[in-house]
Formats: sequence, C-alpha cells, structure tokens
Amino acid sequence: MRGHYTRTSLVPRFALALLASMFAASGCAPRHQAPPAEANPVEAGWTHYRLGEFDSAVRAFDRALAAKPPADPQHLLALYGLATTWNLRTPLGDQDKTRARHYYEDIVTRAPQSDLAAWSMLALARLQHVVPVGEEPDYEAVRAAYDAVIDRFPEHLAGQEAFIYRQATLIQTLQTGPTSQAVTALHAFIDRHPKSGFLSGAYSLLASGYETLHEPEHQLEAELKALDSMEFDPTNPKFENSGAYWKIATIAEFEAGDFATARRFYRRLMDEYPQDIRVFAAEEALRRMDGVEARLRREMAGGGA
Amino acid sequence: MTRVAGFLKRYFAVLVVGTTYLWAVSAIVSYRAAEAPPGTITLRLGHWQLEASVRQALDELAADYSAQRVAQGLSPVKITQDAIPEMTYVQWLTTQLMGGTAPDMLEVGLGTMPYYLWLQYFNRYFIPLTREVNQPNPYNADTPLEGVPLRLTFKDGMREAYVEEMQEYMSVPLSQFGVRIFYNRNLLKRLTGLDAPPTDYRGFLAVCRQIKSAHDERGQPYAPIAGSKYHLGWWEGPMMDPLTYTVKDVADFNRDGFVDNGEQFVAIKTGRLDFHHPAVAARYRMLWELTEYFQVGFTGLSRDEALLLFAQERAVFMTTGTWEARSLLEQAEGYFDVGVMDYPMPSPDDPEYGAVMRGPNYERIGGGARFGITRSCAHPDIALDFLRFITSRAHNEKLNAIIGWIPSVRETQMPPFLRGFEPHLKGVYGNFNPGGLGGETAIKWMQIYAEYQIKRKTYDQVVESFEPFYKTRGMVDFMDTQKEWRRALHDNEQFLAGIRAQALRAEGDAAVSDWVKYRILTTNRQIWPEIFHTRQMKLVTGELALPDHGPYEYSERVLNKVRARLERRADTPAPITSLNPAPEP
Repeated sequence: MRGHYTRTSLVPRFALALLASMFAASGCAPRHQAPPAEANPVEAGWTHYRLGEFDSAVRAFDRALAAKPPADPQHLLALYGLATTWNLRTPLGDQDKTRARHYYEDIVTRAPQSDLAAWSMLALARLQHVVPVGEEPDYEAVRAAYDAVIDRFPEHLAGQEAFIYRQATLIQTLQTGPTSQAVTALHAFIDRHPKSGFLSGAYSLLASGYETLHEPEHQLEAELKALDSMEFDPTNPKFENSGAYWKIATIAEFEAGDFATARRFYRRLMDEYPQDIRVFAAEEALRRMDGVEARLRREMAGGGA
Repeated sequence: MTRVAGFLKRYFAVLVVGTTYLWAVSAIVSYRAAEAPPGTITLRLGHWQLEASVRQALDELAADYSAQRVAQGLSPVKITQDAIPEMTYVQWLTTQLMGGTAPDMLEVGLGTMPYYLWLQYFNRYFIPLTREVNQPNPYNADTPLEGVPLRLTFKDGMREAYVEEMQEYMSVPLSQFGVRIFYNRNLLKRLTGLDAPPTDYRGFLAVCRQIKSAHDERGQPYAPIAGSKYHLGWWEGPMMDPLTYTVKDVADFNRDGFVDNGEQFVAIKTGRLDFHHPAVAARYRMLWELTEYFQVGFTGLSRDEALLLFAQERAVFMTTGTWEARSLLEQAEGYFDVGVMDYPMPSPDDPEYGAVMRGPNYERIGGGARFGITRSCAHPDIALDFLRFITSRAHNEKLNAIIGWIPSVRETQMPPFLRGFEPHLKGVYGNFNPGGLGGETAIKWMQIYAEYQIKRKTYDQVVESFEPFYKTRGMVDFMDTQKEWRRALHDNEQFLAGIRAQALRAEGDAAVSDWVKYRILTTNRQIWPEIFHTRQMKLVTGELALPDHGPYEYSERVLNKVRARLERRADTPAPITSLNPAPEP
C-alpha cells in the first residue's frame, strides 16, 4: 500500500533515518583547508600558478581579463599572466606557445613603453632561446631577439637581463672570437651601467670570458669585482660568499700565481664561514703555499728542491 | 509485555546498532573531555619517531607549554601525537593531506618520498614560515639568544629548513643527528683485554683480527663488526669516501671544491683520472679490509639482524646514529656497557693510506626532526608558538635530553653520553661516485660492486670489468644527465616567472627584496649552468683541450711567477693595473 504508513512501520523507518543521519554527521569532520585568495583574480591567478594549478590560473586570469576594460592596468596584468601560464605551464604538452606569443605581442602593441612590454619582449626572446630538449636554438635569431629588447629598453631591468643572456650566448661558445666580442661589450656595459642589478653578473661573465682567453690575471680581477658588486639576499641561508671566496682564492693560487690574494680569501673563508666544508682545504692551502715558497727560496739559494 | 517483547524481537538489530553507536559516541566524547577539558585548544602533531622517549619528551614539553599559557591567563593547549611507522608514513601523510584531515604539525623530509613530491606538498599543504623565522624567539628572553632571529638561533642557521625552490622556510628542526661506532665494552675487554678500542685504523684492524680469532665456550666465533647492507653505508660515507678527497685536485673543473658526476666522467673520459688513481684505489682497498671483519653474509642481512647480533653480544662493534643511541643503551642495560668511539681513521704516516688521507672526515651540521605547519591547521599561530617554545634554548635542551638526541639550537648542552657525537667541522669529504651517472652505468656498477663486497671479484677485476663500460656506456648516461639539466632550465623559467610576477606586484622593501632574489636566481640558475655544461660537453667530445694541469695543480707559469716575485723580495705580486680586454703580452 504505497503512501499508507502505520505507526509501527514508521518507527523502524525513523530509527534507520536517525542512524543514517548520525553516521553521516559523524563522517563530516570540519575541514580548514585555506583556499587561495580570490579577492583579486590576478592575485589568485598567480597563487594558482605558484601552486602549479595551471588550469585554475588560466581561469582566474581569464576572469580578470573579462572584468576589466582593455585600458585598465589589471587587464594588461591578466594578459601577462595568461601569456606566462600558457608559455611555461607543465606538463610541457599542455603548453601553447603560439597562444603565449600572441598574448605577449598583444601587450607590446597595446602598451609599447610599459614595464610589461619590456618583460613580454624578453619572454619572446626567451621563447626562442629555451627550446625543447634535443633541439638547438637558432643563436642568430636569439641574439636578434635580445637586441630588440636591449634597443627598446636599454635602461630597463629586462633590457639589462637580455644583454646578459646575449653575451652569455657568445661566452658559451668558448671560442676566442665571439668571446672577445662579448668581453668588449661587457666592458662597455659596465661603464654605462655602474649601478645595474646585473653588474655582478656582467663581471662574472667577464671572468668566464677571460678564462677562455687564458688571461688569468684579468679573470681574477673580474672575479674580485663580481664579488664586490654582488647583491645579497639575507633571507636565504644558502646564499653565502664561501663559494666565491674559494673560487677567487684558487684562481689566485693556481692560475694567477697571486699568493697574497689567495691567502686573503682563504682566510676570509675560514674567518667568515668557520663551518664551511672547505675550511680544512683552505688551511691546507695556506700551508701548501708556504711550502712552495720555502721550496722555491731554497732552490733560488742553490739549495735544490 | 508481549508488545515490548515483540518490539524488541522485531527491531533487535537496529537497537543493537543504535546502542553501540551511542555508546561509542559517548565514550569518545568523555575520553576527549578528559583528555582536553572544555576550553582547551587541541593540536595534532604527526611524526614517524616511534621511540618511546620521543613521545614522552613531546608530551612533557607540551604539558610545560600548556602550563605556561595557563599561567598567562590563556587557554590550555593539548598536543596529541600521531606516531606513524616510517614504512607507512608517506602513505598516511599523503591521504591525510589530500583528505584535508592532516595534523596541525607534521614531521617533514622523510627520504622515502622523492624530494619533488615533498616540494609539491610544501607548496600546496604547508604554511611558509619565512616571515616568522626572521623574528626573534620570545622564549629566548634573558638568554644569550635574546633578540636573535629564530633562524639564527639554530646551529645550522636552518639551512635544511629552507626550500630553495620556493625561497621559503617551511619547517623548524628540533634536533641534530650524528653517526659513530658503538661498541660492547665488556666483550671488548673479555676478548682483547682492552678497556677502549684503538683510535687509529691499523690498531683497529689488529683488534678486529684478534676478535675474529676468538671463540666462546661453545666454540662459536664472534663477529668483530655487526654489519648489514644498511650499516655498510655508515662505514663507507664517514670512513672510506673521505679517502677520495684528493680527486678534486684533478677533476674539480668549475672550482667549487667538489667533483660532481659530470666532472668525474669528463676527467675519466679524457684520461685525467682513472680507477687506479691512488685515492680511488685506497677507498676500495679499505672496504675490502674492513668487510673482512663483518659477519658472513652481511650484504644479505637487514638492519635489525645486525642490531640483534650486537644486542646478543655476538659482535663488538656496530655503527649507528644518535637516533638509536637511547634505545640501544636501554637494551644493553644490565647486560653490557655500551661505548661510543669515533671512526678510526688512518694516521698521516700510514704506509698505504697516509698519502691520500689528509684529515678527519667533515661532518655537516644539519637540523633534523623538522616540523611544518599544515594549511589545514585551525590554530596556526598557536602551532607556531609551540614550535618556538620547543626550539627555545632551554626547552630544546630539555626536549633532547629526554629523547637522547643532540639539540638543534645554539648555546645548548647535549646529554653526556652523546659527547662523542660532537661533529667534526673541519675535515675532508668524498669526491668519487662511480654509479653517479645513473642509468645503465649505475646498474652495472651496483652489480659489480656487489660482487666486490662479497669478495667474488678483486679490485683489478672490478676495474677491468667496469672502467671500459663506464667510458663507453657512461657517455650515453652523461648525455642523459645533460638533457636532465636542460629540462631543469625549463623548470627554472617557470619558477623565475613566478618570482618576477611577485616582484612586479610588490611594493617598497618587499619589491626590492624580490628583485634582488630574482636577479640572483636568474644569474645562478640560467646563465652559469649553461656555460659550465657547454664546457663539460666540449671537453668530453674533445672540442676543447683539457688544461695541461689540474685545477689544483701548479703550472710552470705560476711557479715562475712566484719565483719572480720572491726574487723581487716582495710579499705581494705586481699590481694589476686595469681590466683590459687586450691579451696579456
């Protein structure tokens, strides 16, 4: 008799419903999962990007794009976010370089002198440089793309970064011709941009170039200047100068024959980083140089080895 | 009556289930109420430390923490622990995190889960602590650490807690760990007449020989060393690998002080280094000599089997770490005295090892037992405060004294029986790893090395079988590592774009700091590696000539320069006038 209930048939039904509700309720433990901030869709997009949730990032940037008129700075930021996500999302199969390129170019067209145009042009150059594994970049085209950024934004950080990447493509040939070109360009850059955030990087590249050119004294001096101009990130415990001290000391000792500089930097390593793994080797080096000098003095005095 | 009986008969099953359920609910509620009275804030803490002393120490410190809160008029805090076996910790942690039911604080960094997964979990499920660890720990008031940022109050500066890929501190370390050789004092005395073992390698071998020749009253022999596949690594790392330290003199091409797998391959492929290099040969000779004194079949035995041998007084020596020290002492109590000794390294005048053994082994200070705060934590501020409490100078010392571990915080004392674990902060380290290229090379090495460990192959046979393979097949694996590195370039691009976007959106000091980070990471990750790897590739393919001297060897040119300076009787070299792109005349 469908729809007709007696008192006795209601009791078990009620009891079962009550039990089911209790069981269901007991399974509902409170959760405190903190969702990414959604107040600003651009912010939310970058939060998703950082967490590797690229579909959500695209959706958030799309929302931001739709919410603001093209003239609004947030619109450009959303475009840049979309371009970056399609360019660099993982897995690689999900990337859409064509779409990314289109967004970057759109930014450059809409706001050609903006910050984001500079970074977009750099991204377009990087698209040509960082090619899939197994492929070789077309270095002429890569350098031309970097030149475009440098020419349009010579004082912008993006332009300076492009300059460093461009010279690195020459230095990494390890051939004297391109390396000499890069060395000349780096000197000019250092003269023109003595306060650049990439000054230390430029000196380090110079040192690498001098290594290829077999000029250890200049290599050493460039390393010293790279250290002097190095920026420091105090929040990173792994960022320290011990590696730079070790490199300078060993170049000075074994390549430039400049024992005074070598001693200075081995000592700095020992004093400033007493727990560094290379401290024992630094002490050993100080003894070794004393020994070499003593041996050479004996030889010069006619005492033999 | 009949109606009641009928009712009971009819609904018996439902009533039993309902009553059981109500009983269970009331039992849980009353248990929870007794455990954490109303008004108490309960925090869960998950870890894989099953030793009783760890749970006891955390309970005791949690009680101290709650008491001091109550004294300040704050709500009491109850810390409940989920101690999960190491074997299942990763699965448990994964389901808890994904289900949104994870404890408020979790121990992180277990090696059985790949690092890239930890990275994803950190990103998604844990709260970054960077801002907080740069603030002083209030519980260090009136101590030498007062006003010092929390991260700098740790012996290792919280290096291990910093996740480079995220540029964030993600956890707080409670303790430090070290490894030494434990020995049975009574058995040593009985078998050799010695009160303490020799501290040098030759003396140690002689004692092992003496122990090996001894038998008990039933004619059973003793094993000088309780070994297993697990324990072998604790002999190789601290004692044998440091013998290969001088390999860097010929193979550290990028001058960072270490020989990585690529540099080692380049050095061997180009003939700058081979398996008969004195330092390399010495390392494997020592393995041959030492394993002579392990029990038979040790490579097939587990860690527990070696522990049992030691606990049953059938072996005199065994390597293990601070994590087992307390329980080992407890097991031995009433049976034998446990001693702790440092590794018996060869002396500088050792006829075979003296030339390559330059010093003691280096031990890096690193904070372990690290705890992070999950995003699902209902009271992250209190969880952080609790972590600050147990990592303050006094409480970290107390915590580790109860557990029997080494405190992670500076200016603390360690339990007396751990004094022998004081790390060597000056010393040498290994620079040779034949299986490091991975792929087929690693598999082949493991097969051949396993035969060497059980003395089925001599070292010459090992070299004869492996070195040609390493040079040929190694090239394929080397190229694969180059591809891996190229893939990393893509990952770096993704990561740097995130940092750049953060910097673009930041303002004031935060923007300055973000841009500094961005520039440093760009230079270090995207520019230098490319040059370095290109150099390696060109060296290995012969496109670039190897320098005629090793990175830590003097060339005749340098010696002449030093000679010239000494002749001028000047202490400093001729000044470098300017950086000029023109080559030196």
